[in-house]
Amino acid sequence: MDLVRHLGYFLVVTEELHFGNAAARLGMAQPPLSQRIRRLEEELGVRLFERSSRRVALTEAGRLLVPEAREIVARVERMRDLMSDLARGDAAVVRAGVPADLGAAVLAALIAGFRDRRPDVRLSLTEMGTAAQVAALLEGRLDVGLLRHPVAANGLAYGPVLVRHPGVLLAEDDELTAWATVHLGDLAGRDLVLFPRDAEPGLYDDTLASCRRGGFVPADIVCTDRVEFALGLVLSGTAVAFGAPAEVPGVVWRPLAGTPLAWRCSPAWRTEPGPYVRDFTTVAVQVLKESAGMVDEGVPPAPRVTPRPATGLLA
Amino acid sequence: MNPVERVFRNAGVTGWLHAVDIDDGREVGLRADEPVVLASVFKVPLLLELHRQAERGLLDLTERVGVPAADRTSGGTGLAAMLDDATLSLRDLAYLMMAVSDNTAADVLLARVGREAVNTLLDGLGLTATRVVQDCRDMLTSLWVDAGVADQSAVTQACTDPEVVARLRALDPAVGNRSTPREMTGLLAMIWRDEAAGAASCAAIRRLMALQVWPHRLASGFPFDDVAVSGKTGTLPTLRNEVGVVEYPDGGRYAVAVFTRSLSTAQNQPRADAAIGAAARMAIDQLRTHI
Repeated sequence: MDLVRHLGYFLVVTEELHFGNAAARLGMAQPPLSQRIRRLEEELGVRLFERSSRRVALTEAGRLLVPEAREIVARVERMRDLMSDLARGDAAVVRAGVPADLGAAVLAALIAGFRDRRPDVRLSLTEMGTAAQVAALLEGRLDVGLLRHPVAANGLAYGPVLVRHPGVLLAEDDELTAWATVHLGDLAGRDLVLFPRDAEPGLYDDTLASCRRGGFVPADIVCTDRVEFALGLVLSGTAVAFGAPAEVPGVVWRPLAGTPLAWRCSPAWRTEPGPYVRDFTTVAVQVLKESAGMVDEGVPPAPRVTPRPATGLLA
Repeated sequence: MNPVERVFRNAGVTGWLHAVDIDDGREVGLRADEPVVLASVFKVPLLLELHRQAERGLLDLTERVGVPAADRTSGGTGLAAMLDDATLSLRDLAYLMMAVSDNTAADVLLARVGREAVNTLLDGLGLTATRVVQDCRDMLTSLWVDAGVADQSAVTQACTDPEVVARLRALDPAVGNRSTPREMTGLLAMIWRDEAAGAASCAAIRRLMALQVWPHRLASGFPFDDVAVSGKTGTLPTLRNEVGVVEYPDGGRYAVAVFTRSLSTAQNQPRADAAIGAAARMAIDQLRTHI
């Protein structure tokens, strides 16, 4: 039997939990579909579905098979795609995910750098947050990503960790622009515009924890991954944002004293990297250092709290 | 207008300020070379001479000294406010002098090291505009004599009268303990660079200056957990001073000296206190602009 094809039928039935619907989706009649599922059950020696007149439900064995079947089907599809590209003489492709706020110049440098290194391979970039990249990498929809730490995901391997220390973006009439460096505590009471927690769960929590430690509890947090929207809020004086200097009239950038925020980023891929992942990683690390102001992660400075008698314990 | 000047103006005070980057020498000043009344800030050079004499073996900082209840220089803190006989080591007296500006502790220590010794030290450091000619008791006595009141207890009340304040010799830098903002930051920078005395002595002095309790003046300009502020205040009617060092988490360290004189004669001057912190931050920020 063609096991892979039968696993494909099985997955469609698990999604529909209805043989008639699944058959319609597959463009076949119901009896041959039922027959193929039975052949799969015979092949594996287990029952995969509990069938009653009204409903179809997965058995325990069926549930266990779902992730295995998905992995096998996806890998076979990837293999076929790769081979058919080669057979047609098309350029090979590396599919990479990049964060939304990378910026046009960095993106262009990344593409140009990769083209120089591997003119025979097409770089297909998709803008994605870290959470989406992790899912896409694990499901095989991406070959490599640029993730923002902290990330907790099994099954991924990481390239070099790069770090940058964001400053704060303020409206030019904000009184804090009088300072050459701004302390996180100076921002107290202001609203913050930040990337969405859904997109960057680790970095979002990490950033807010650092803010609280530094005396900045935002009065309100507006989430967006649209740079233009964030700058609009900053420009109007509605909120402050963290990031690199922005070349926007009316927006002023100031460094944060003591670099209390550290945004870390690294290339990541599935445990066995695809063929062009190493090329992409090499180019990405170089471009992020040269064009995005990132540096190799050194020893992160431990946040310090200097004791003061007037505010000490029990003072 | 100079932004530092604007801070002083808005707080209703005349201000004198000098700030310097301890490591690269860049500076910001406002009337930085004019003579100013030190008030309790004189306790810093006194503390330095105490440690220098200990280094030369002239005294032992752990030596215990009796401070009888009957003979106390008045003041609102420390031994000056305590009621019973006490015995403390010289270095613990120094702690009280620096942490809470204890006048009694300061006078015991100045009597021990000698005024001339302090001035000889200052000459040796090139700080010739800085003089220590009075102890706390001298300053307080001149206040109640000039105010024309019978004793110490009436001084606080009398000194809210502008006419009385106008004739106080204690507010004239030509008369009492004096310096300039620039000489005070010079002294602090030498202490922070281990040049004013041996490294261990300078570290002990820095420790005591970091233990000062007052949050309302220099420290109020830096309400940040990762910034360290060490200092010594000075207060007399209409005068509010503080000199100190501010250390940033990126390693930047700045000596700053702020002296103010207010138009108001009120004893409570929260705006003048806060202006010291605000002006210091403004000045230090200017030093950091070109980093």
